[in-house]
Amino acid sequence: MADLRIDLAGIKSPNPFWLASAPPTNSGYQVQRAFEAGWGGAVWKTLGEPILNVSSRFAAVSYNGQRVAGFNNIELITDRPLEVNLKEIYDTKKRFPNHAIIASLMVEPKQEKWHEIVKRVEDVGVDGLELNFGCPHGMAERGMGSASGQVPELVEKQTHWVKEVARTPVIVKLTPNITDITVTAEAATRGGADAISMINTINSLAGVDLDTWNTVPHVAGKGAHGGYCGPAVKPIALNMVAECARNPLIDVPISGIGGISNWQDAAEFMLMGATGVQVCTAAMHHGFSIVEDMIDGLNNYLDDKGIAAAMDLVGRSVLRYSDWGNLDLNYKIVAEINNDVCINCNKCHIACEDTSHQCIDLYSESDRPMLKVREEDCVGCNLCSIVCPVDGAITMVERKSAIAPMTWNERQSLIGSLSR
Amino acid sequence: MSDYLQSMDEINKVDHFLDSGYKIQYVYENLSGMFVEFGRQDEVVHLQILTADARKYFAAKLQEQTLLQ
Repeated sequence: MADLRIDLAGIKSPNPFWLASAPPTNSGYQVQRAFEAGWGGAVWKTLGEPILNVSSRFAAVSYNGQRVAGFNNIELITDRPLEVNLKEIYDTKKRFPNHAIIASLMVEPKQEKWHEIVKRVEDVGVDGLELNFGCPHGMAERGMGSASGQVPELVEKQTHWVKEVARTPVIVKLTPNITDITVTAEAATRGGADAISMINTINSLAGVDLDTWNTVPHVAGKGAHGGYCGPAVKPIALNMVAECARNPLIDVPISGIGGISNWQDAAEFMLMGATGVQVCTAAMHHGFSIVEDMIDGLNNYLDDKGIAAAMDLVGRSVLRYSDWGNLDLNYKIVAEINNDVCINCNKCHIACEDTSHQCIDLYSESDRPMLKVREEDCVGCNLCSIVCPVDGAITMVERKSAIAPMTWNERQSLIGSLSR
Repeated sequence: MSDYLQSMDEINKVDHFLDSGYKIQYVYENLSGMFVEFGRQDEVVHLQILTADARKYFAAKLQEQTLLQ
């Protein structure tokens, strides 16, 4: 049995699985039920001046039968008074002293506003704070959320204001709605953040109803952009976590968020530098009990790998992530087709012929249709193995290159050395 | 000609010049590919390399030449 406990900038929790600040952490009732189910921590739905929400708040994108491949919401922060939330946080912490409760906060970018809310929230015993510089809708129109999070100077300044009075670790939650998230992550670090979390949701419009021409969702015939999350955003989030993890100027722990739906996703984020993960959409889709499989799965994975503690997984793949210019141009893989397994759907041939490098030939052997890769023309793009519906029918195999490894950067340096 | 055959043709030309005692003197690249100048004593020859595989191969040969110098 591996040790699943984590310590994120001094915030301890029994496992790396936290609920993200969102509808699942709206109340004490929900958070306590989540802890009973096994979640190690919860980031309370963002506290601030109580807002008003609209009706019709969520929409999902399904793709080829997969429900909730992506999820869009236009719900804002908590609509409950601060005192109500604080009482429930206090009660929850009292009942679950070993679980992590982090208060997500959002106020106007004014020093006194941050000081006030930090002091009031810390008085009820939270384990940490998460500054919401990420929500892309509604609050951003009022100068908060991602409107703050897109301006590095505001991220740094507000983080600094919070750190002036905070007694618990401060996590800065970043928006992905920015060209380079490392810029705002660096700003948070300069402001004194103890940790960063990413990603918040991505600006989105889930769809347009082809019958009514209304947006999805719509509010009395009108729509506004929302925040996109769920499995579809995982690769975007994973890259942003990895880019921050490998940046030497961002030397604080990372809480990974974005489409994490199972223990495998969580392990990937941890390998790429996240100390723990936050989950929302998967819990909204399947309920709190999904954490049981997450805990079992991660535990078994660590045992299988001979890794004693979840913290030992953190960052193990970061050094394997680099810039394109540092990749070996002479590394070579090719597709290999196993005709004993192939069902002759020809998707690989069509994909290669129409959209790649035309290197998969159709032929027949004893009247049996066969497929063969012309290795000399195969560039190792992987497309055939991606579109193949049969496991094991196409394998990408490494071929020893006749020439020594060389990266693009090395090549350019070499060619530059000959310049006149 | 397939990309493969074209690249092999260009690789053979690179090898031919190097095996004949030429040294890579200068190279530049533009929208039309890579242009290489080989030199042997007072003799200069030029080669345009179009294919990606041959340009990779050429870089490996340039590295070999650089290491030997």
